[in-house]
Amino acid sequence: MKHDEAYELLAALSLDAVDEHERRLIDEHVATCPKCRSELDSLLEVAGALGNSVDPLPEGLWTSISTRIYDNDDATHPMPVLVYDSGERVTSSRRRHLGRPAPRTVFSSLGAVAAALIVVLAVNLANQANRASNLQHQLVNDDAANAALVTPGHTVVDLASTTQADLAEFVLVPDGRGYLISSKLPTLPAGDTYQLWGVINGKPISIALMGTSPRKVTFTVSGSKPTLLGITVEPTGGSPTPTSAMVASGAVED
Amino acid sequence: MDDISEASDAQLVTMIGRYDEVALAEVYRRHGGAVFGLARRVLNSSVEAEDVTQEVFLRLWNQPDRFDSARGSLRSFLLAQSHARAVDAIRSLNARRNREMKDASKTARSGYDMQHEAWDIALADQVTRALEELPDEERQVIQLAYFEGHTYVKVAEILQQPEGTVKSRIRSGMRRMRAVLSEAGIQGVET
Repeated sequence: MKHDEAYELLAALSLDAVDEHERRLIDEHVATCPKCRSELDSLLEVAGALGNSVDPLPEGLWTSISTRIYDNDDATHPMPVLVYDSGERVTSSRRRHLGRPAPRTVFSSLGAVAAALIVVLAVNLANQANRASNLQHQLVNDDAANAALVTPGHTVVDLASTTQADLAEFVLVPDGRGYLISSKLPTLPAGDTYQLWGVINGKPISIALMGTSPRKVTFTVSGSKPTLLGITVEPTGGSPTPTSAMVASGAVED
Repeated sequence: MDDISEASDAQLVTMIGRYDEVALAEVYRRHGGAVFGLARRVLNSSVEAEDVTQEVFLRLWNQPDRFDSARGSLRSFLLAQSHARAVDAIRSLNARRNREMKDASKTARSGYDMQHEAWDIALADQVTRALEELPDEERQVIQLAYFEGHTYVKVAEILQQPEGTVKSRIRSGMRRMRAVLSEAGIQGVET
């Protein structure tokens, strides 16, 4: 397509008001024409403004999206490692995971996940009442966690081992943020990391990488509140799904 | 970054490139309502709009490198994706007969990022004003094309006008809107 023809159609293209054949021809031209590209980018911003009316998000839509992220069975697009850890920024790129098949052996059944966690592992229900003052002295110098403990509606979750030993405590606040408030997890050797999981709708969702010796962990859980929190030991960089038994877990009380 | 809510959109997309689901959740929190709102407005179906919204965010997850912050805002990028998919759906499903005129001024009240809501409302006001300033014939072709999902050829057929005239009105209308929005300080629209 000639420049003038393409340029004339850019406004219509920005509104998706061209047919597929025209779109292809314009795209081919735009790819080699800085002037058209700049004009199209600008018109797309106008179109974006035009379509910028916001609707309330439907309940459960984020959960559907989040769940579908984990439904990718394409071996060439391995399952993603999902992390947000203010204490240890993950730097591994996606490429590093190529060719690493998504482990599915430990938690192949969603229903079994929650059941296994409940039956096999010790579950400590958090005793929420008046916990804040007792916990604050255990904080690992984290002002945000300290603030969370006095946030109305916060939930404290104890994670214990199979032998009932308390290994970690987290606090969740109503907007979905969570913080590690204490940890007795032993230091791991290099090459391993603790990984925090939340069980949402019976499915383990990666919440954060905690590093080899967790001290400060911050995370956000969007959408549904997890029913359980659990920690596994995974290779550095984390795993898309748990590859080993939980070293600690705890139910999240409503 | 201790507080992800302070991350820029570009930073969030970089984090998504590292499989950071929380970053995706934050993008959804900021822009999900707009993505869903546009799809619902074009499709006139919340169910189909949810499908479109899922596709848009899954695509961002799988192909974050398709967003180039040097070329425009993330909001516009996501809205373009949402609109293209909604238009594809409406054209393939021939769902247009179920449409009815919708109130374009709805804004979110629940489950939405309040921090960005004020900006959205301000922008909506500017866009409404810009649309109102357009000559009727330009506003009509833009609305038929963008919100009804018609090609300019179809718009010409509906209005019984030459295709060249419709094409020209879309172009002049969009440029006029750009000038008004640019003057109002809306970033990204200026050439």
